[in-house]
Amino acid sequence: MTVSPQPVLETVRVLANERIATGVGLLTLQAPRIARSVEPGQFVHLRIGVGRTEILRRPFSVHRAVGDRIEILYQVVGAGTARLARVGPADEDLDAIGPVGHGWDVPAGTSHALLVTGGLGAAPMGMLAERLAAQGVACVVAMGAPTAERLVARELFESVARKVVLTTDDGTAGTRGLVTVATERLLAEERFDMVYACGPEGMQRAVASQAAVAGVRCQVSLERLMACGIGACLSCVVTTTNGRKRACVDGPVFYAEEVVWYASEVPPKH
Amino acid sequence: MTMDAHVDLSVALGELELANPVMTASGTFASGREFAAFVDLNRLGAVVTKGVSAQPWDGNESPRIAETPSGMLNSIGLQNPGAEAFCAKDLVWLKEHAPRVPVIVNVSGHTVDEYAAVVERLDEECAVSAYEINISCPNVDEGGLAFGTSCPAAAAVVAACREVTTRPLIVKLSPNVSDIAEIARAVEAAGADAVSLINTLLGMAIDVDTRRPMLARGVGGLSGPAIRPVAVRMVWQVARAVTIPVVGMGGIMTGRDAIEFMLAGATAVAVGTANFIDPTATMRVLDGVEEYCRKHGVKRVRDLIGAVSL
Repeated sequence: MTVSPQPVLETVRVLANERIATGVGLLTLQAPRIARSVEPGQFVHLRIGVGRTEILRRPFSVHRAVGDRIEILYQVVGAGTARLARVGPADEDLDAIGPVGHGWDVPAGTSHALLVTGGLGAAPMGMLAERLAAQGVACVVAMGAPTAERLVARELFESVARKVVLTTDDGTAGTRGLVTVATERLLAEERFDMVYACGPEGMQRAVASQAAVAGVRCQVSLERLMACGIGACLSCVVTTTNGRKRACVDGPVFYAEEVVWYASEVPPKH
Repeated sequence: MTMDAHVDLSVALGELELANPVMTASGTFASGREFAAFVDLNRLGAVVTKGVSAQPWDGNESPRIAETPSGMLNSIGLQNPGAEAFCAKDLVWLKEHAPRVPVIVNVSGHTVDEYAAVVERLDEECAVSAYEINISCPNVDEGGLAFGTSCPAAAAVVAACREVTTRPLIVKLSPNVSDIAEIARAVEAAGADAVSLINTLLGMAIDVDTRRPMLARGVGGLSGPAIRPVAVRMVWQVARAVTIPVVGMGGIMTGRDAIEFMLAGATAVAVGTANFIDPTATMRVLDGVEEYCRKHGVKRVRDLIGAVSL
C-alpha cells in the first residue's frame, strides 16, 4: 500500500459547475497541488463559502484529476450540497483540504477487476477505472442507478472497460433491478482477482458478501459524516475487526473483510 | 502605535506561564499531530489534548455528529486508547515535534479513582505541564457530566486529583447547570488552579423524514458559534465569582471572538470547533488577537482580562 503525502489546504477556483442528471452535478475545480498528488479513491474536504449557518466542510471523492484540475461528482442531498449546486466561477471563498484518505489498493499482479457502482458510487471510481486501464488491468464495470439518466460517468467507464453492465430500477437502461443481481451473475461466470465497490452501504455489503462467496477480495469506499477530515475529531469512525478506524484517514477505502457492517447505520445526509 | 510595536501576549494560569492566550479545546485537536501539516504547534499558547482515561474507551456508535445552525452536535463519547498508549505515542510525538509548547492533558474518568489514576500515571511524564479535569462531558453514561453538575461530586474529583499532583489543575465546567458560578466556587475551594468553560451544551436534533435522532446516541453536545453568547455570559459570571483564572471557550472563530472572552474575564481562550472548519484556525485567532492589540494600543494582552465596560 502506498503512503499518502500530507494533505494541503488549497484555495480552489470553480471552473465549471454543471448539472449532468437530475439532482447530480459535476464540479470542476482548479486545484493544482491536490490534482498533482491525488490517488484514486482519495477525497477532498471542501469548504463552501463563509458567513452561513452550515459551517462544516463536506467531503467529496475526486472523480478525475486532469492537469491542474479535479472533478467532483455530487448529488444534492442536503443544505451543503444545495449550496454547492449554486457555486460558480464568481465564488472566491472556497478551499479544500486534500488529498485526504487511503484510496483504492491495486496489488501487484491484479489482472481482472470488477468495479461495482450504485448511483453516486461512481464518483470515486473514475480515476480508478482510468488507472486500472492504464496498467493493463481488464475491467468489468457493473453500474446501478434509479433510471438511465442517473448512470453517471457511464461514458468514461465505456471508454476504458472491457465490458459495462447496466442495471436500473425502472428498466430504462440495461436490466431492470438491482446491480447486485448483475454482480452475482458476473462473479459466477467470470474470474476476477479484485472487486471494487461503492454505493449505498447495503449494496456494498451485499457485493462484499457475494465476493467472499466467490473467493475474490473486495474493497469498499465507505461514507460517514465527518467534521475535521484529517483524523482528529473521531466523528467518522468505522467499526472494523481491528477496532474503530477513521473513514477519513484510515479509509474511506477498506478491505471488506475488515468491516463490521451494521444494519442500523443510517446514510449520511448532507 | 506603529505596526511593529511589540505586544506582550503572555498570560499565566496560576503557575503555568503561556507565551500567548490561545490554546486548543480538548477533543478538537487530537494531540496535535494531525494539525502539524497546517499549524506551527510551537506558536500555540498550549496544546490541550483529547480526553485520556485510565483504560481504553471505545466511544459511541455512529452517527456521532450532526450539523446544526451555526454549530454542530457531537457524541464521540471520549474514544481514546487509554493513558499508557497516550504516553507511549501521543506524548512522545509531542515532546519531539512541539518541545516548546506546554501540554495540558485532558483527564476523563467514570469514577473519582479513575480520574486520580490517570493524573497519577501522567505525573510520571515530564512532558506534561498541567491537567484539565473533564467533569463536563455530556456523552458518557457514567462520570463526566454527573460530576460537573453537583458541587460535592465536582469537589471530590478535584480533591482526589489534587492529592496526587502538584501540577496545575484546570477544571472544565459544564454549562448544563442552573448556577455555574456555584460549581466554580466548589472546585476552587477543592484546590483547582483554574477553571475552563464552557464544555458543550446538551442538545438534540431529529431527522423529520426518518423520525430518528440525528445522533445514534440521541443526544449530544452542541458547539460552535451558536453557543458563543452563552459561553461569554458564563465566563463573565464565573470570573466574578472566583479568584482563580478562567479559560474561556465556546464558538471562537476569530481573534475578535477571543478578545470578547478576555474582556468577559478569561485569562486564556481555547479554539475548538473552528479547527474542524479551518485547520489553521488557531493561528488565525492568534494573529487576530495580536492585530487587535496593535490596532487598539494594547501593550499587554493581559490588560484586557475582565476589562469589559459595564
